Amino acid sequence: MEQREFSEDHLDILRELMNIAMGNATASIADLLQAFGKMHIPKILISDMEGLHEYIRSAIPDNQRHYVTKQLFGGFFSGEFLFVISEESALNLGHHLYDVTQPSDGDILDAVVELTNILSATIISRLTEELNTKVQFFVPSTDLIAGNDLISPEDLLNYHSIIIINTRMEFQNHNINGQIFILTKDEMIDSLKALIDRKLEELYA
Amino acid sequence: MKILVVDDSKLARLFLIKTLRELEPGVEILEAENGLVAVELFKEHRPSAVFLDLTMPVMDGYEALKEIMQINPKAQVVVVSADIQTQAQEMVLALGAKMMVPKPINVDKMASVLQQLSI
Repeated sequence: MEQREFSEDHLDILRELMNIAMGNATASIADLLQAFGKMHIPKILISDMEGLHEYIRSAIPDNQRHYVTKQLFGGFFSGEFLFVISEESALNLGHHLYDVTQPSDGDILDAVVELTNILSATIISRLTEELNTKVQFFVPSTDLIAGNDLISPEDLLNYHSIIIINTRMEFQNHNINGQIFILTKDEMIDSLKALIDRKLEELYA
Repeated sequence: MKILVVDDSKLARLFLIKTLRELEPGVEILEAENGLVAVELFKEHRPSAVFLDLTMPVMDGYEALKEIMQINPKAQVVVVSADIQTQAQEMVLALGAKMMVPKPINVDKMASVLQQLSI
């Protein structure tokens, strides 16, 4: 996967801003779960659809079912936020949040959506705040998917070049782990580059 | 005065150094991109203070902090991290850090941090 159009400085600043955003999100989730979360260094790649498929296959196990929540956001920087959590982690999340041994499917779904809302709102808002812009969020949708085919063939038609921002959240004591993907379309690469350039100008001034 | 700045992001280091130099123009800066390099530089140069990130490849900030405090239990380490969890703060303070400040650190915050350090 080539890192076209983005310099090392662009990728470095995006990784750092994502790190700050992820720090805020981890703290919010840690409050919700009353547990300590481990932070991971975000990975950032510019890819085509084939690359995205390869990446998802290598990042998500294909022998499990996953709750996949997708949420669109729009503005000068727009894209799609994907939160992927295994069925087992989702069960642990529901069990922990509702304090019951066997949470219902509805409870689990509700817990996953709530977690995604906190994650997407905190991460995207913090990221865009650092980039001096704003976004609007759309209603998320959640599906339970077998394997790692997270992106449907219809979705493929919407994307050509994609920025993949991927990180993990890990609450080891509760065995709750999730993966976050932020996908943006072709024209957003230019928008994001312009926003980062502005940030770089501030930094080097 | 020597200050060691440790962060895997070149731009995060640059931002911190710029902020430090605004307040202390004559400061000598040492840079490390991970905990392992930081520990080596600390051993060799014994800086007056260390600004240390937590989430880094090769050796993270927790491990580096442990090793630095073993080398010099009086080391003045300021953890500068995006991880703003209370438990993370408790852990680094228990390991011997002087304080923990959230990223990004601006000039006002840096001025207050430098005031609290005995350098």
